[in-house]
Amino acid sequence: MTSSEHDGLRVDGLTIAFGGNTAVDGLSFAAPRGRITGLIGPNGAGKTTTFNACSGLLRPSAGSVRLFGTDITGRGPAARAQHGLGRTFQRMDLFDSLTVEQNIALGLEARLARSNPLKQLRCPRRDRTSVRAATEAVLELCDLGPHRGDPAGSLSTGQRRLVDLGRVLAGGFDMLLLDEPSSGLDSAETRRFGRIVTRVVADSGCGVLLVEHDMSLVMSICEHLYVLDFGKMIFEGDPADVRASDAVRAAYLGSEAA
Amino acid sequence: MLRLHDITAGYGDTTVLRDVSLPVPRRSVVALLGANGAGKTTTLRVASGLLAPGSGTLHLDGTDLTGRRPHVLARRGVCHVPEGRGIFPNLSVRDNIAVHAAGADTGEAVDRAVSAFPVLGEKLGQQAGALSGGQQQMLALSRAYVTEPSYVLLDEVSMGLAPVVVDEIFEFLGRLAEQGCALVLVEQYVAKALELADYVFLLARGRLEFAGEPGELDAAQLMEKYMGTHT
Amino acid sequence: MNDLLPFLVVGVTTGSIYGLAAMGLVLTYKTSGIFNFAHGAIAALAAYAFYDLTTLRGLPWPVALLLAAVVLPPVLAVSLERMARGLAGASVTMKIVATVGLQLAITGALMAHYGAAGLPFPTFLPVDTVTVSGVHVGIDQLISASVAAAGAAAFFLFFRLSSLGVRMRAVVDDPDLLELTGTSAFAVRSWAWLIGSWFAAISGILLAPQIGLDALLLTLLVVQAYGAAAVGMFASLPLTYAGGLLIGVLAAFATTIAAGSQALAGLPPAVPFLVLFVVLLVAGRSRLADAGTHRPAPVSAPLLTPRATRGFAVAATVLAAAVPLLAGPRLPVYANALVFLLIFTSLYLLVRISGQVSLAHAALVAVGSATFSHLAVGAGLPWLLAVLLAGAAAVPVGAVVAIPAIRLSGLFLALATFGFGLLLERLLYRSGVMFGATGTLPAARPEHFSSDTAFYYVLLAFAAGGMVLVAAVTRSRLGRLLRAMADSPTSLATLGAGINVTRVTVFCVSAFIAGIAGALHASVSQSATGTPFTAYASLTWLAVLVLFSVARSAAPVLAALFLTVAPAYSSSDTAVDWMPVLFGLGAMLVALHEASARPRTTTGDGTAGASSRARERIGAPSAARERLQAAAGRAGGRAGPDTGRLRVGRPRQQGDTR
Repeated sequence: MTSSEHDGLRVDGLTIAFGGNTAVDGLSFAAPRGRITGLIGPNGAGKTTTFNACSGLLRPSAGSVRLFGTDITGRGPAARAQHGLGRTFQRMDLFDSLTVEQNIALGLEARLARSNPLKQLRCPRRDRTSVRAATEAVLELCDLGPHRGDPAGSLSTGQRRLVDLGRVLAGGFDMLLLDEPSSGLDSAETRRFGRIVTRVVADSGCGVLLVEHDMSLVMSICEHLYVLDFGKMIFEGDPADVRASDAVRAAYLGSEAA
Repeated sequence: MLRLHDITAGYGDTTVLRDVSLPVPRRSVVALLGANGAGKTTTLRVASGLLAPGSGTLHLDGTDLTGRRPHVLARRGVCHVPEGRGIFPNLSVRDNIAVHAAGADTGEAVDRAVSAFPVLGEKLGQQAGALSGGQQQMLALSRAYVTEPSYVLLDEVSMGLAPVVVDEIFEFLGRLAEQGCALVLVEQYVAKALELADYVFLLARGRLEFAGEPGELDAAQLMEKYMGTHT
Repeated sequence: MNDLLPFLVVGVTTGSIYGLAAMGLVLTYKTSGIFNFAHGAIAALAAYAFYDLTTLRGLPWPVALLLAAVVLPPVLAVSLERMARGLAGASVTMKIVATVGLQLAITGALMAHYGAAGLPFPTFLPVDTVTVSGVHVGIDQLISASVAAAGAAAFFLFFRLSSLGVRMRAVVDDPDLLELTGTSAFAVRSWAWLIGSWFAAISGILLAPQIGLDALLLTLLVVQAYGAAAVGMFASLPLTYAGGLLIGVLAAFATTIAAGSQALAGLPPAVPFLVLFVVLLVAGRSRLADAGTHRPAPVSAPLLTPRATRGFAVAATVLAAAVPLLAGPRLPVYANALVFLLIFTSLYLLVRISGQVSLAHAALVAVGSATFSHLAVGAGLPWLLAVLLAGAAAVPVGAVVAIPAIRLSGLFLALATFGFGLLLERLLYRSGVMFGATGTLPAARPEHFSSDTAFYYVLLAFAAGGMVLVAAVTRSRLGRLLRAMADSPTSLATLGAGINVTRVTVFCVSAFIAGIAGALHASVSQSATGTPFTAYASLTWLAVLVLFSVARSAAPVLAALFLTVAPAYSSSDTAVDWMPVLFGLGAMLVALHEASARPRTTTGDGTAGASSRARERIGAPSAARERLQAAAGRAGGRAGPDTGRLRVGRPRQQGDTR
């Protein structure tokens, strides 16, 4: 293993409890740069809980989240984003009244504006150039050019997924968390989404943590998988290992099916 | 028979179900399978009236009830135990059962609920949200026994529960089926569901992929749908 | 102690009535997800009905009481339930605007029909006094307090024990699930609206003898119930009633403290709003999850192309420049319209661009107005400098208004700002600090521009400048951040923007423009006064702005013209009197229309945005996930769904997820 602990996202002993119930129990995993890492498991296994703890929407009861070697456990979402962590939303929280182009541009602009009132007020020329360049590149990559002027709220689910992805791509984040990106997509759209993510990782070397229920997507693009059940890690390995694992099969179909 | 015919349904601009037909004969057990996001929950929501379909019809024992509100269907014998915990967390256990009884005698309803799940008897005064997960699910399921419905729709009732509790719940479902309740099971414990089922329907991406009897469905086909091993 | 006893008695009698009204308000809010700003208007309506039936039509008071307090409310309840059903899935802004519109319509109709001046309310209860431990107490007061207390207690028992009460608590927990058990959630909500309306009507009739028949005053007095509801955290009924008592007593004690001090004269009537504002600030978002999940406005194609918009802007400017040649004696009306254009432009930035509802806007204008007079006349500063400094003085006040915006969203932000506006109005407008002992300060126009025509062009320059400024902000990075924040604060935060800074900044910009508008208003009329800038004005402005929202960026222009110019051209006074009714009903219809354009499920669940819930459904979420999203709303953005509970004396407990 060449990947040091300073590379990518690293979660150690993550525990999250709600009112005495432990949703996630002592979870540890790593999502290094340059790799697509999958986090899978049956319904209610704790995937989204883990995901929200990584992106800062949820404070863990115990354990730590480190990003590129820095402990970010106590930081809020905006601070994590400043440190290079971008996320998408399963429910595609787009800026519906803004155009596709503006949505994507905001991926970078929000990051440049930070919490500085002056930077929020006006956009320096230098920023404008870089925002434009990033937006054009993403529009091209996601093939959203024909829709650039459409309000995001008027798009189909497949296009909305791409805009959601496009926003974090424009932001130039080094670590991307993708939240169930295939929900609502048909298989052709899902495959296309997978191709774009693979290409981004190959080109930019960023890391991706994918929480997903569509196994065909997970199996085709992830290099490494972590399988959760009841908030605990039950298996870890490459897609072929996972496919062959009796434990994983049992978790998905019920114990007797194994 | 509870019959969904050619249902297309979704939320806002997103279509989740396309041309789904699901007949549920009286006294039968139907397993509705499919990967996450396939449209199982949406199918149940249409069947109980929580979601009005964009097109298609919903018939209950020959009466067209398409677009009617859930309480109308409930009064006519459709009991939907929704995903999550189908309880009112801030009400006491007794008040939960009183709401389930929907105007019928509360004392009698409590007796029936306790006879189905004795553990509820000790918790009647407690706030339902403070029960353990298994007890909450038992409380939710007791509605299917108290109100004596003809059709019970069950959405992932074993999710997140310990194996012992899951066994107890499946035992209860078996008893319901024996008493002549028709059941529609959406269940991640596929093997357990198939043991009970008379018919199996398989959904994939909002379309019906398979309809038949459990024997006709082989494990490889099922795994393919769940794990995407067809590559 | 004996000195304070009379005030305690007075406080408890009025407080008991506030408590009853507040319980009705909390009940309807929790069961339907709609906070009824028109609650006080229902109280006023019932009081006027009672007056009409007894004094004007000569019916015996028991019959009138039966008709006004028992028969009238069901009629209102049916319409309110219908409206609430229509608003399911609407954005929080529209939910607020709809009931604010209804309030304006009812209050406006009462004032138009019965006159704005107060009327003597018929005394129908015995007015003798009895002596309770050395204190003289009116029997009518005792009866009022007992009726209110008995009503509150009876309702508490009903809610706790009856089968309908259990179902009301069930509808608060989960309306969909209640439907699945065979009970119509709409039917249960109808009962809640009925009881809420009864409580409002009874409190109106009980309060009217003490304060006289005044539509505005009665409407606002039941607004005291907001403060009581805040004490109960908008959820607990017993605490809400206790909150009513607390506010009554605090207000009575404040009267003793304020007696003889001009500076504190405004304190007693300000107490409820002080309570409201402080509780909302202290409680913050962890306790107060907003009932309506935020939903952005539905997307529609722009009305006009940018080029056409520019064309219209040029044409409008030319037309505006020609007004002095055409308006004749009505020129001052148009001057006033320009001031209001500036006000509406600043409000538009806040409400329509950033999606935040502020009901303290009139207070910001008043601050500008007062500051200008102190600086220009009092300190003798040059006119232009005084105007700009008046704008600057409003900025810190705007920042204070923005504090709730950091911690609260949607409804609670609106309530906190409303409380703040009323607080300022009650505490400072009449205390002499702002507008002097007489309530009016002198103000002047700039040298060389003091003629109506010359000053009109000065105003036109300011109005144009304000609009250009807002247009520039809208096109700037801040504008993009604001519109993004209006759509989804959570995702904007996860992209790295500090959204609290964004929130405060826009409040400050808006306050600056509003402050300048206040200065100009003083200049136009050559006197500064707080009278036109009441909290009621804030409500009206919001309704009028939303009424014209279909005109998009031209909405401020139309709003200003209709509010100021249209009355001047009306030939009959009656038509002018009824205009607020038109505004109110219009805003309500716009809100209902916008709500109807959204997809929703069959039960029309009003406690969470149906479409947002739908989107979550696609991937088959778990209960745990929904709870998580609530938590997520708290941690980052603030779009968490309602925690959905109506507490009856029990501590809240965290439910198991597994």
